[in-house]
Amino acid sequence: MKGLQTEALTIRFGGLTAVDGVDFSLTPGEIVGIIGPNGAGKTTLINLLAGIYAPTSGRVVFDGEDITAVPAHRRAALGIGRTFQLIHPLEDLTLVENVMTGFLFAGRRSLRAAREAAAALCRDLGLGGLNRSTGELNILETKKMEIAKALAVEPSVLFLDEVMAGLNSTETLDVIRMVREIAAHRNLGIGVVEHVMGVIKELTERVVVLDGGRLIAAGPYSEVSQDPRVVSAYLGGSV
Amino acid sequence: MSSIEQRPRRRAPWVFAALAALLAFLPLVAGPYPQTIARSVLTYMMLAISWDMLIRSGQLSFGIAGFFGLGGYAAAIGATYLGVPPVLTLVFAAVVVGVVALLIGAVVLRLRGMYFAIVTLALAEIFRIVMHNWSSLTGGPNGMLLPRSAFDGNSVATYLMMLVLAAVVIGVSEWFRHSRIHFALTAIRDNETVAASAGVNIYAYLLTAFAITSGIQGAVGASYAQLFGFVTPESSFNVNYTLIPLAMTLLGGMYGTWGPVVGAVLLGVVGEYLKLFIPYGHLLVYGVIIVLVILFMPRGIVGLVRGHLERSRRTTTASEKGGAA
Repeated sequence: MKGLQTEALTIRFGGLTAVDGVDFSLTPGEIVGIIGPNGAGKTTLINLLAGIYAPTSGRVVFDGEDITAVPAHRRAALGIGRTFQLIHPLEDLTLVENVMTGFLFAGRRSLRAAREAAAALCRDLGLGGLNRSTGELNILETKKMEIAKALAVEPSVLFLDEVMAGLNSTETLDVIRMVREIAAHRNLGIGVVEHVMGVIKELTERVVVLDGGRLIAAGPYSEVSQDPRVVSAYLGGSV
Repeated sequence: MSSIEQRPRRRAPWVFAALAALLAFLPLVAGPYPQTIARSVLTYMMLAISWDMLIRSGQLSFGIAGFFGLGGYAAAIGATYLGVPPVLTLVFAAVVVGVVALLIGAVVLRLRGMYFAIVTLALAEIFRIVMHNWSSLTGGPNGMLLPRSAFDGNSVATYLMMLVLAAVVIGVSEWFRHSRIHFALTAIRDNETVAASAGVNIYAYLLTAFAITSGIQGAVGASYAQLFGFVTPESSFNVNYTLIPLAMTLLGGMYGTWGPVVGAVLLGVVGEYLKLFIPYGHLLVYGVIIVLVILFMPRGIVGLVRGHLERSRRTTTASEKGGAA
């Protein structure tokens, strides 16, 4: 089966169960929202899928193969891309060099081929001034660079961890359009973590809701947003 | 792809080549004393470059003297027991020390930051203690005499040998700077999670860098053994071989080949003249320089010059743009 699935994925940090028995799937071509209040385990889930953390129990399956024990750098090469909630430019590299790294290492391309591929990708995303240092980029350009870095591993599944955070409404619309185009042209499965519900509503066909590490609801946004458990997770109080 | 997006063509290799050619003629114009200084500057320069090559990945090593001393002993042992010809002991030591570093690195490169730094410092001390006490092999505290030294100690020939070795080290450092290794090490230094997510095999790259830089330190240690014709635990593992290259790199600037080169020439020559006036006073001056550089010039001389060039380039392009508008 194509795409990424998890089975009863769990990770404990000491006494805290950050992700608790989550069954999640993402197949190429779909955009799935991952929502939940702060501390629900959304970023931890992405870190488990990307191989940054090893789960306490459960499995991660990618394109039908168990990759639970596969390290992060090999998962990138397999085609799992992700952005970071707190933006992490490689500040000693220029814009184009940041984007090159994925093509160089996950894609095993030569320096010249990687530079050309990175330049073409930046052009596609509307990024110019390729030899600028990352400190010279504005917030929208930085976000686009983060997306470009994730796309540079040539993923079949891509996780966007709050890429819209800090953008104004015009910029948000710009990025939403970009994500749509990426999904349409590259046949990617995209997992979107976002706190702005308008973005989730706009972009996703279905959402999963995490609360306290557990998956408490799944389905189209219009249904899930009416679910009393979801409302209670966000607003507090008993059901 | 448009040419604007390409990086400017590099002049550095040609400048290096011209300098090396010029330096090859030094023995024709300079006497034995300047040649001695030149050999010492080259020794520290190579150690400084190798230390810089590893710090480009963010890993701070205090083990230079350890691998340097080990290289000296590898040369002496190889020459004495295996009959390795003098000049080839440099290669022999590089391989032996590189393999030792590979085995040790496989374990200690799981550590980061302060923990890694302290372990490298401890390693240097362990190597010294082993050589000090393994009397049957190493002669213990008395050290070892080399059966024959390179070119029978001919000062011009050994000077040229050092120059060739330095050219090789500079070449390896430039290869690090301009190959995929540069991107891997820089990404690791900036953020390991981001590096791994881009597909960088962090462990493999760190291990490679550690083995190669230690191998260089081993070869330099062997060349030192060839220059002096002997090794002892106290002289070969002297902590100065860690501290002086470190000071030179800080002064010249980290993360490139030029920084350590500039720092080694400056501190090496200045230190040599200071020795004439105040014995051991040069070490005091080194200390003061390190403190001043860290406080006021954290990117070193090369970083300072680069910054000025960048700024003047930027103001020119900005004024050109302003003129066009």
